[in-house]
Amino acid sequence: MTHETITLSVTRFDPGQDSRPRLQGYEVPYRDDWVVLDALNWIKSHLDGSVNYRWSCRMGICGSCGMNVNGQPKLGCSAFLRDYLPGPVVVEPMANFPIVRDLVVDISSFLDKLRWVKPWIIRDETAVGPGEHRQTPAQIDHYRQFSMCINCMLCYSACPVIPIEPEFVGPAAIALARRYQLDSRDHAGQERLGTLTGSDAIWDCSFVGECSAVCPKGVDPAKAIQQTKFESTLGMLMPWGGR
Amino acid sequence: MSPTSSRDASQPRLDGEARATAPDRVSARMPASAGEPAIAYPVKQPFTWWTRRRGYLLYMLREFTAVGIAAWMLLFLVQLARMRQGAAGYQPLGGPLFVAISIVCLALALWHSYTFLSLAGLFMRIPLGDRTVPARLIARAMFGALAVVTVAIAGLLIWGGA
Repeated sequence: MTHETITLSVTRFDPGQDSRPRLQGYEVPYRDDWVVLDALNWIKSHLDGSVNYRWSCRMGICGSCGMNVNGQPKLGCSAFLRDYLPGPVVVEPMANFPIVRDLVVDISSFLDKLRWVKPWIIRDETAVGPGEHRQTPAQIDHYRQFSMCINCMLCYSACPVIPIEPEFVGPAAIALARRYQLDSRDHAGQERLGTLTGSDAIWDCSFVGECSAVCPKGVDPAKAIQQTKFESTLGMLMPWGGR
Repeated sequence: MSPTSSRDASQPRLDGEARATAPDRVSARMPASAGEPAIAYPVKQPFTWWTRRRGYLLYMLREFTAVGIAAWMLLFLVQLARMRQGAAGYQPLGGPLFVAISIVCLALALWHSYTFLSLAGLFMRIPLGDRTVPARLIARAMFGALAVVTVAIAGLLIWGGA
């Protein structure tokens, strides 16, 4: 069966006019190789230039086009229309973030959380010495998967703890903290552990695990959180448990 | 519901204050993002959130197994309390209803154990030289340990009192 068109139901919200978000239907041409982002771009170019959404690279690298497609957190550039036939495809903003306009959400809370975990290498010396800071492949393997995070925030959209505990640092930020904690070049392992075991961090997680299930880059934030919980507990119970 | 400031509804407590209990170098919170607060619509989580994804449902089932286990343990504690009155006061629970409840609680306990031990390899990171012990091996070791302990306790209960 061939499809000529497919309907997208897109969330519209203008804070100056609307009291609550609403869905607006658009009929777009169906192409087998089109993703939701292609359809949104077509809408913006041909039907309604006022539709707002974030996007940039269109190839699953920048992490800008996170949205809920038929209720599931997805990157708009990775959600093929052919997977949602015959439609309609319901395109909504990411859950658990305040909606600024249409599909655009306020991500300032995430940016603050990200800064808080200091996602960069911290070393004891005040100045970086000459030469290379080399690592073996095995040392890189310890943190490689956590370094694949693109900050798309789909894990926050999937996390049911965030709306209950808005101050929870959240999956991606903790995964990135873990990434630096496992990096042999970083000297702040114990300090990061102290930060993550404080309030609003790992112990807020009830291990639903959907943060890992929705990650488009195969990062496992649930693993990062549970490993940190285990290490923290071991550190309390065993004298040799700390890193 | 009318639109409101995102700072009012969902902005976390990120006030630039360093936390007293954590080392300053890592834990000092950065100032909140500069600029005027965006007027944004605060979305709330519906009560039926756990029906929206299979993973949510399985999570709720996993968590609720603890209720059955706690209920059975409560019955067990009641029986233990009766033993304070001596052999005459001890009246073990029995009958088809108690057996049925016990079977349900056993199923819940087994499911709870299965989900927990299956994830053991995920949360336990055991260094082995410059590598780590494979997660699958850790999970299998956990199931093996469960089997050994179960057989040991069963043997104690069946033959220990004879």
